[in-house]
Amino acid sequence: MLYSVRSKLIASLLGVALLVGSVSLFTGVHLLKTHVIDEATNRVRLDLNTALEMYQARIKNMRTALSITTLGSGFMDALANRNQSDLVYRLGRMAHHAELDFAGIVTGDGQVLCRIGPHAMMSAAAVDNPIWKLALERKAPVDGTVVLTREMLVAEDPELAERARIPLRARAESTQAAGDDEISGLALAAGIPVFKDNAVLGVLYGGKLLNRDDTLVDTVRDTVFLGETYKGHNIGTATIFLNDLRIATNVLTPDGKRAIGTRVSTEVGNTVLTKGQPWTGRAFVVSDWYIAAYTPLEDIFGRRVGMLYVGVVEEKYSNIQSQALTVFILITAAGMLLAVGFGFLLANLIMGPVHRLIKASRQVSEGSLHPDIGPIQKGEFGRLQKTFAEMVEAMGRRRAASESKIIQSEKQASVGRLAAGVAHEINNPLTGVLTYTHMLLRRKDIDAEMRNDLETIAAATERVRKIVKGLLDFSRQTKLDPEPTDVNRLIGGTVALLENQALVKGVAIKFIEGEKLPLVILDRSQMQSVLMNLIINALDATQPGGSIKIYSASGLSGNGASQKGVEITVADTGSGIHPEDMDKLFDPFFTTKAVGQGTGLGLSVSQGIVQRHGGHIRVQSELGKGTRFFVWLPIEKQAGSYEDTRG
Amino acid sequence: MKILVVDDEGIVLDSCRRILASEGLEVIMAGSVDEALKILEQHPRPLPLLLMDVKMPVHDGMYLMQQIKEKGLEIKMIVMSGYPTDETIARAAKLGAATFIAKPFTPEELLEKVLSVARKGDSHE
Repeated sequence: MLYSVRSKLIASLLGVALLVGSVSLFTGVHLLKTHVIDEATNRVRLDLNTALEMYQARIKNMRTALSITTLGSGFMDALANRNQSDLVYRLGRMAHHAELDFAGIVTGDGQVLCRIGPHAMMSAAAVDNPIWKLALERKAPVDGTVVLTREMLVAEDPELAERARIPLRARAESTQAAGDDEISGLALAAGIPVFKDNAVLGVLYGGKLLNRDDTLVDTVRDTVFLGETYKGHNIGTATIFLNDLRIATNVLTPDGKRAIGTRVSTEVGNTVLTKGQPWTGRAFVVSDWYIAAYTPLEDIFGRRVGMLYVGVVEEKYSNIQSQALTVFILITAAGMLLAVGFGFLLANLIMGPVHRLIKASRQVSEGSLHPDIGPIQKGEFGRLQKTFAEMVEAMGRRRAASESKIIQSEKQASVGRLAAGVAHEINNPLTGVLTYTHMLLRRKDIDAEMRNDLETIAAATERVRKIVKGLLDFSRQTKLDPEPTDVNRLIGGTVALLENQALVKGVAIKFIEGEKLPLVILDRSQMQSVLMNLIINALDATQPGGSIKIYSASGLSGNGASQKGVEITVADTGSGIHPEDMDKLFDPFFTTKAVGQGTGLGLSVSQGIVQRHGGHIRVQSELGKGTRFFVWLPIEKQAGSYEDTRG
Repeated sequence: MKILVVDDEGIVLDSCRRILASEGLEVIMAGSVDEALKILEQHPRPLPLLLMDVKMPVHDGMYLMQQIKEKGLEIKMIVMSGYPTDETIARAAKLGAATFIAKPFTPEELLEKVLSVARKGDSHE
């Protein structure tokens, strides 16, 4: 079962499917990983730029609002007249429209004239705000990021100072103690100096505290990431840092609160705050992995005071990867399943006809000559089917032939047995009839008529004798069992049987094979007896030290007919044959050996066998030098060539 | 000259007797191998010639030849058979038969064989 074509086919297909599947899986996942993550990183970098733009735009808006206020009708007069109540009204309106957390007006000599909030009319300015201070110094509009100390915030509005306070939380991955609360504030601010006669009349300033102010980060999130969510959470996040501390963020802690008061990782802090370089990459933010980008924020004095961050949850992308991986695995598995299915189908397709042929062969071996080989297919298999059918047909023909041959030979055998019996029984009385007829014919006292009758009886008896002889000859034919034979092999085998005997006697025996001999149709065992008889005779005639050579060659019959055949020569260096014995050689009762010493069948029997094969035996001999026997056999037996030379 | 003829068929025995007697031979007849052996044993002088059939009931001609060979009897043997085969002829030759004649035969054929064997013996002796 394990070695069946089906399992081999399935295994191969499965192997291919597995190979292709796993290669595409690995390359696909690899490509996806680099491309998706790269794409996400690039996107986040761009998103950070957008966020920074929005941050800057916020500042510009603020500055524009302040500028418009300075250009408002009556503002200059109110400032020049130090009309506090008018100015406070104007400030209030401006702060409301521009969503400012603090705003105020400072005189040209650095006294706070008025501001929004609870300390609106307090003229004594305990603390300087860096934004108006720089605008006064530069005598030019100033805007940007500023860090406000608690004192500054309290001076503006004690409530702001309270909002700015951020209790520190322990970083998730840090063992560091939480430390003191952050009490400074990070603010966007602008200051516009107002001039009269080339002298600074005063500075209008205003700003927005970023601590705990979600509007900017949420706007970034909603604008840049369009509120895209993943598993119920926004995938995009934005954060504003004061130094390394989150003061405004929509990154959530595991309990779902904004992660204000947590610090950035040391690695990011070092790169962005200390070295002043932007940072992009995979980062662990608060409690999750993000693809993140950070950029430093500088204040109006060019000091790095914080960072801006945007990031997307990495899980979404890694999920795409794992989804792709799953899809790839599924495809591979489906491919393998298909391979198994195809394997089965293909195996059935291929093996179906094979099984049918196997079944057909079985039918043939069980005796059927008309096996069902199914419809003839195209291609190689069709050829196999046709060849098989031809083979079966040939077998049928041969069987029919051999059956008729068997029937024929059985018929012959039974006729032979009958003939033998009849011959034996008839020949005895026939002897009497012949004898008495001839004895009567010898008598002188019979008349002519009786003599005539007796001669008729003798002639009729002769006819009967001939008929019986014909029957006997016919019965003898059945004893031949001819088949196509390689003469060289037959001689080789016979010589091998007698080599020991020759060795014992000290006679060298050698067979010189003729090349390219045709097959001869002969009765192997009878012809072997003939060869054996000839070689044994040669051995008996040869003295120790002599030699016997056997040759085989193609040769013509030579007696006028020139029929094609094979000639076998047995040559010895023995005593030779007396010339007067030559013609008696094939008489069954002629022997030069002592009575009872002859072995095997006599030369007469050998001659009978050869003649019944349609061949003949010749002898050449020279006294004292040696004898050569030539056995010539026709390649194709000629019809009616069987002869019996016995009387 | 005496000749012992052995055959189980009376007609053959009689035929042989008539043919051989016509040429002056003294014919002794035996209807079976056992009878022939008895005659050979009891006969005062060794018989010079023996004409025998091969196929006979109880013991056949081959057996008779074997017995003669074993006993070392000097007798010229002629074998006759109604069913001559290579094997029969070869065996007969091996057992020392001088010649062979197929049944049926004409008186001339039998006489020629027997007389040639008898003469051969004469010249030899």
